[in-house]
Amino acid sequence: MNAGTANWVATLAQQHLDAAHNLGRWLLGNEQDAADAVHDAYVRAARSAATYAGGNARAWWLAIVRNCCLAKLSSRKRETPLRAVPDAEPGTLSEVEDGAHIAQCRTLLAEHLRALPTEYRETLVLRELEDLSYREIADVLGVPIGTVMSRLARGRALLQRALEPVAQEQDHGL
Amino acid sequence: MDCNFRQTQLEAYLDGELERADARELEAHLDDCAECRAALDRLDALRRELRAAGLRHTAPESLRARIAATPLTAAPGAMAPRRMRDGVWRYAAALLLAFGTGGVSVQMWNSARGADAMLAHDIYASHWRALAATSPVDVVSSDRHTVKPWFAGKVAQSPTVRDFADQGFPLVGGRVDYLGAQRVPVLVYRHGQHLIDVFVLPPGSALSPATNAREAGYALQFVALDGAPAAIVSDMDAHELAAFAQLLSKAPTS
Repeated sequence: MNAGTANWVATLAQQHLDAAHNLGRWLLGNEQDAADAVHDAYVRAARSAATYAGGNARAWWLAIVRNCCLAKLSSRKRETPLRAVPDAEPGTLSEVEDGAHIAQCRTLLAEHLRALPTEYRETLVLRELEDLSYREIADVLGVPIGTVMSRLARGRALLQRALEPVAQEQDHGL
Repeated sequence: MDCNFRQTQLEAYLDGELERADARELEAHLDDCAECRAALDRLDALRRELRAAGLRHTAPESLRARIAATPLTAAPGAMAPRRMRDGVWRYAAALLLAFGTGGVSVQMWNSARGADAMLAHDIYASHWRALAATSPVDVVSSDRHTVKPWFAGKVAQSPTVRDFADQGFPLVGGRVDYLGAQRVPVLVYRHGQHLIDVFVLPPGSALSPATNAREAGYALQFVALDGAPAAIVSDMDAHELAAFAQLLSKAPTS
């Protein structure tokens, strides 16, 4: 590895560290595992920098991060237990004060996102939180663009359905 | 084409991934179809909620420091003396990034999650979509007397249209574009090789001078266009942008 390559990997990793960590958090569910996976990915990226064949560098880096996360997931010997999401209770929501209501909606949103199957969750995270293009997401996940689109559509539909009781209760104008 | 197909197109459209021609066709359909408009609004609302909910976990400083302090293992055959030097440079680069670029982008993301940022984001997306299209304008004309009437009937209020060819910013034409789910007039100018979009925003838009920012080499500048809030987006450098903003806001109304 020459100086240029090392610099390139370091620069790339630092530049997209938030994205890497965020993806790790949503895949692994906790900060420590996410940080470990990102660190693994950093070392692995440096080792395989020579295999980088051009193209979108952020997607290349996030693909490595994702692989490290999936490796960590399987080494846990079990899937992250999907947390049961309590249904919103329309009767009680109208009683809470407005700000608390919005905060509650956001917590709910996070819980529903967390409860989504991995393939929808990671696609939505890359699209909505990291603002990746379909092409970049396809590169990170190693799937065709058509698959990215159908996962986004399905993921969004699931989220919308999950949030419906809340939205009906009060339009909080977000 | 039936509405079911349109529904699947709506997502690509909202994500800025629809080809220009398809987007145009969809927009024409949106004008007629309340059901699709409602679906687009729902998608838009979900997206805004997702992005506003603070769901993004930024990297903790401890991770940033840990990465910066990790020596990268040399591939077999690398020369030892160079590794030493690499380390120094790598560390310097990492530090610079952590406190420079990294810090700034985190800052932008964290501080700008409000309506301002959402709008700025939509404006950039719209601008980039137009750049990727075959033609960034729907009405091609350097004559403001052609462009202004063209907007009538397409948007609630025709914007003030002026030509600045003499000052080096010729009017190229105009288009109607969507910001999120909202239709706005866009005036298109050119300066040398730079394409300039002027988004005329609805009165009372959240955009403020505080939103002025650069993203991926493109700059956004807030300006008052004959009393209406407007946003200039272009890849011009700061000086050119400032000059154009001044022309736009100072020129006498005709």
